[in-house]
Amino acid sequence: MKPLQIPIEHKTFANGLRVVVAPDSTAPVVTVGVYYKIGFRLEPRGRSGFAHLFEHMMFQGSENAPKMQHIKLVNSSGGVLNGSTMYDVTNYFEAVPSNALERMLWLEADRMRALKVDDENLRNQRDVVKEEVRVNVMNQPYGGFPWLDMPPVAFRNWANAHNFYGDFADLDAASLADVQTFFRTYYVPNNAVLLILGDVNVADGFSLAEKYFGSIPAGPPPQFADPTEPQQVEERRGHVVEKFGTLPAMAVGYVLPPRRTSDWCAMALLDQALHGGRAGRVYRELVLEKQIAVEADGGVDDIFGYDGPAQMTTRLFHKPEISSEDTLAAFDQIVRIMQEKGISDSELDQLKIKWRSDYFATLEGGRGGQMPKYGLMHLLACFTLFDGDPQLVNTILDGFLAVAKEQVQDAARKYLQPQNRAIVFRKPIAKSEQEAA
Amino acid sequence: MATQPQRTANSIPALAPEREVRWPKRAKAKLANGLEVILLESHTIPKFHGELFFRSGNAFAASRGTALAEMTATMVRTGTAQHSSREIEELLRGLGADLSVNAGQDNSSISFAGLSDHAEPLLQLMNELAREATFPAAEFERERRQKLEEVKLERTQPGFLAGERLRKVLFGGHPYSQISPTAEQVAAYTRDELQSVYRDFYTPENAILILVGDFDAASMQRSAEKVFGNWTGKKPAALESAKPPVPKGRRVYLVDLPGSVQTQILCGCHAITRQNPDWIKLGLTNSLYGGAFNSRLVMNIREDKGYTYSPRSGVNPLRQYGYFSVSAAVRNDVVAASLTEIFYELDKLRSVPVPEPELLDAQNYLTGVFSMGLATQSGLLSQMSMLALNDLSDDYLETFREKVRALKPEDVMSAARTYFDSANMQIVVVGDRQHIESQAALFGELGIYDAKGNRVS
Repeated sequence: MKPLQIPIEHKTFANGLRVVVAPDSTAPVVTVGVYYKIGFRLEPRGRSGFAHLFEHMMFQGSENAPKMQHIKLVNSSGGVLNGSTMYDVTNYFEAVPSNALERMLWLEADRMRALKVDDENLRNQRDVVKEEVRVNVMNQPYGGFPWLDMPPVAFRNWANAHNFYGDFADLDAASLADVQTFFRTYYVPNNAVLLILGDVNVADGFSLAEKYFGSIPAGPPPQFADPTEPQQVEERRGHVVEKFGTLPAMAVGYVLPPRRTSDWCAMALLDQALHGGRAGRVYRELVLEKQIAVEADGGVDDIFGYDGPAQMTTRLFHKPEISSEDTLAAFDQIVRIMQEKGISDSELDQLKIKWRSDYFATLEGGRGGQMPKYGLMHLLACFTLFDGDPQLVNTILDGFLAVAKEQVQDAARKYLQPQNRAIVFRKPIAKSEQEAA
Repeated sequence: MATQPQRTANSIPALAPEREVRWPKRAKAKLANGLEVILLESHTIPKFHGELFFRSGNAFAASRGTALAEMTATMVRTGTAQHSSREIEELLRGLGADLSVNAGQDNSSISFAGLSDHAEPLLQLMNELAREATFPAAEFERERRQKLEEVKLERTQPGFLAGERLRKVLFGGHPYSQISPTAEQVAAYTRDELQSVYRDFYTPENAILILVGDFDAASMQRSAEKVFGNWTGKKPAALESAKPPVPKGRRVYLVDLPGSVQTQILCGCHAITRQNPDWIKLGLTNSLYGGAFNSRLVMNIREDKGYTYSPRSGVNPLRQYGYFSVSAAVRNDVVAASLTEIFYELDKLRSVPVPEPELLDAQNYLTGVFSMGLATQSGLLSQMSMLALNDLSDDYLETFREKVRALKPEDVMSAARTYFDSANMQIVVVGDRQHIESQAALFGELGIYDAKGNRVS
């Protein structure tokens, strides 16, 4: 097995902007990304959903690229674009034919330098975001389950526990002044990383980055709210009504050990043992063998992407004729067996092979074939912003492949405990209530 | 690219000269048993992606049962003559592999990806799935139960209900009108039916194997011959299907979903398949209309009016027929306003020539995005399968960009007039009848349906 040797160069500009270039001339395509180290976790109190609404505003116009221009410039250069808001970062990215690289850097620099939006833009995007919430959450069976249901049950610190898509009243209360304050506070070069991947030579990448971003003034270092959770001492439970689906569901979430510790690596393999597809113990036991659940999935979503409390979450959709308590007991039995017996050498080997394969797939994938190198970009950004070292992309696998089977068992004993978990029950509304509603 | 003259920060940099787009060489072979093999090297990650396609899907099985090819595909991984369901899943994990077995209207497929250093054992396992699946009775009952829950859940999803209604309206007695089985149909499936679909469809003469990834093409071809060479079986005999109806005049189909906080709009009309010489012309016209973020429809009903989050249009090419559709999930009080804009933009493309600069932008978009498929193994695989399954000529990829660039405003107008059949568009709206019935009725004769698919008025 060859070690990974993805070429990566990294610099920090005088204004604090970190710049990462990862050249690969396989296809005449270049991917440009800017990650800001602010996500929905640390958005302002009383402004739930604001980080995401703000992300929409970043497409509404900057100093020299007014509304509509931004999207038009990327599409008409032959490229695609998007942005997304996560727990601890917000990203903006374009994949374009490589002859449009300079134009993309100009565009990203223009909106890092100055956001130029008005009340009409804010009204428009508030409406768009509400339709987004309706289509993804309010008008869908099991919408928001569990990513919106779990935080208020599992966590006590507002940062981790609030509604990340936003209460509509909070979205309505957001003002243009909030938009500019948020921009000035967090969207400064010293709180961001610029990534250029694909068909670019390293020297050109850095010199073009310097040309467009070098003169953007640094801001005061952003002050972040503390996301630390008070010590949890009991199992937490919550209930949410399911308006459309007919199967009772539950989500069981365990808080992960801190990032980049050996326990964290062991937990990742434990996750693979439990949730690795149809061979994972949860699906195998509950869906295939005992046939208590009709569907089971979950795990750690985007393990590299968190800089604060995160969970490994199992989702179970079980047969209505089996009670929630019996379903949970069957799940608990899987946990208990893992704690008592651990895993065999051959299971560990399989887990590591699959983990390595999944890691490679992450590097290439992320958003289907339409956004080349999204996955590599995401890892480089997280390793730069959270760990200060993009080269971790080439070495991080070693820690996972070094995990011993005893460590997997220890992680199960240490972290799969009631005082480290929260459970959300999503129960279908009774038929009679459904008709009345 | 550093050769561009120095520019001030506020002017948009010009595009640098384009780097040549070169599609990698494909190796093609036909084995003695009729299996077509297409191989393409791509060394981006130490993995490979593969797909074993069979040129028959749900439509071909329609006379035997609805979505029978899909249920057959679901069963393929649940047991073979050599391995139990559990063993198959553990073998896959030990090879670092992912697997999905699916069927759509026109094809069934075994799709897989794995580590290059475990390639041949994975091919062997795929061979076993294609030839020796045993459809164990207990696994079948479990999968049936899962399927029953799935079809129940679909009936609560506005997007599904809209798609189902539109397909019924456009395809009538043709198999393409059935996108999913009813619970009763699932309950009536038998193992024998599935096994006969498997026997008839999963044959080398009916199959194409595409492999893309980090391997040496010549040695991978030898592996493929070694693994699949002694497989035998004929292509199933061709079937005739009923002709789809040709709906005349706009009609509105309202699927009532009481309590819905939003309305799903889906409009559609018949169009063309990928083999039609107008395909590229229509593709460009669609990207001007609603096929790109920068398109007219998105700019109008999202960026200007804020009616919706994700409006889009597309041409849906099935093998025998294609159709054009426009969709948007909109606020309940702007259903009529959204439909008005949807038709306004369609009619505008039919009546006013597209300005040259806008055309050029759309041409750049379509040619640029087309090349993105070069950058990843899965992107290359999907381009290869698009060519092979539609029997497109070998130089399709190489000539696509110049064909797009040759198009003129009059080509766009003629495509819009021919295929954006505004006067005969069929309109589906899924939402709360109380809020949307009077708005929907403005656009044509109205039929109202419940979520089960029954007409209620």
